[in-house]
Amino acid sequence: MSGFDTLTSAWMVWDGPAPAPRGVVLEQTQELNKFLAEIERRAFRMAQVALRDPDDALDVVQDAMLKLARNYAKRPSAEWRPLFYRILENGIRDLQRRRSVRKRFMTWLPGPKEDPDNEAQDPLDSVADGAAAVPEQLMQDQAMQKLESSLRELPARQREAFMLRNFEGLDVAETATAMGCSEGSVKTHYSRAVHTLREQLGEVW
Amino acid sequence: MNDVILEPAQRALEERSRALFLESVEGLDMRTRSRLNQARQAAVAAAANARSRPWFTRMPLLTSAGGVAAAAVLGVALWVGGPLGHHPAAPAESTFEDLDLVAATDGASGDAMEMLQDDIDFYDWADKAASSEPAA
Repeated sequence: MSGFDTLTSAWMVWDGPAPAPRGVVLEQTQELNKFLAEIERRAFRMAQVALRDPDDALDVVQDAMLKLARNYAKRPSAEWRPLFYRILENGIRDLQRRRSVRKRFMTWLPGPKEDPDNEAQDPLDSVADGAAAVPEQLMQDQAMQKLESSLRELPARQREAFMLRNFEGLDVAETATAMGCSEGSVKTHYSRAVHTLREQLGEVW
Repeated sequence: MNDVILEPAQRALEERSRALFLESVEGLDMRTRSRLNQARQAAVAAAANARSRPWFTRMPLLTSAGGVAAAAVLGVALWVGGPLGHHPAAPAESTFEDLDLVAATDGASGDAMEMLQDDIDFYDWADKAASSEPAA
């Protein structure tokens, strides 16, 4: 073998993984697009339930999409769902932690208090709507509002377990991956969440 | 016993809450849907870019280290091989040359006076020649 051949083969050994062929990339991209399109609205609503603020919810969902696409797009598509929700739940938790720190800090400062959870009511909300709402729709909206407020009162882990299992339809193993805990913990959190919600919503539902 | 009583109620809660949640998802406004769509497109584009680039450009540490090394080599080459290193006394020499030029200009002022004197003689001759001509 000549010196040039040796050099070439050595370069081939050191060459890293070649970029995927164009057709494969296109196929994977389409699959990722389809996956994200299928879950994006549910993910947004779950984030909104947890964070209350739609803009924050959008930011967290967008961040989760980008992180999944950049870091885990090569993984088998079957793993995407629990990975995505793990990223999303981490983002929600980080934001809630930042909010609580900010809230604690703001209580020590003089001046108008910040309202990160948007607890203050918008005066326009109390203005009667001109159009007559359909009674059934109105009842459904009220029931959903009650459910959301009850979910927010749950401990974070119970809320996560309930939403991932019930709203998103993850099984116990996938929920455990998304929450970063054992399957036994998922069952416990979910069971407690259902019992608590049953107690709180029993009269209305 | 308790489990038997709670089971249907639990199932009803699960079904009702899921139905309400999915209905609220369907009721999302167009603005939110549009923003979610934009976020998805950005994520998919990021994934496509990350996959189609060569492997060495996907390693930020490697690319930044390569850039720093290249900048360091270029800097050393300019410092060692540049024109500044070879002519430390050049400004002093050029200053002396300038002084010589100024001095030479001062020395040539005698020639200039000589030329001016020649001109005066010429004008004197021309004046006399004009006055000695007969009137027409």
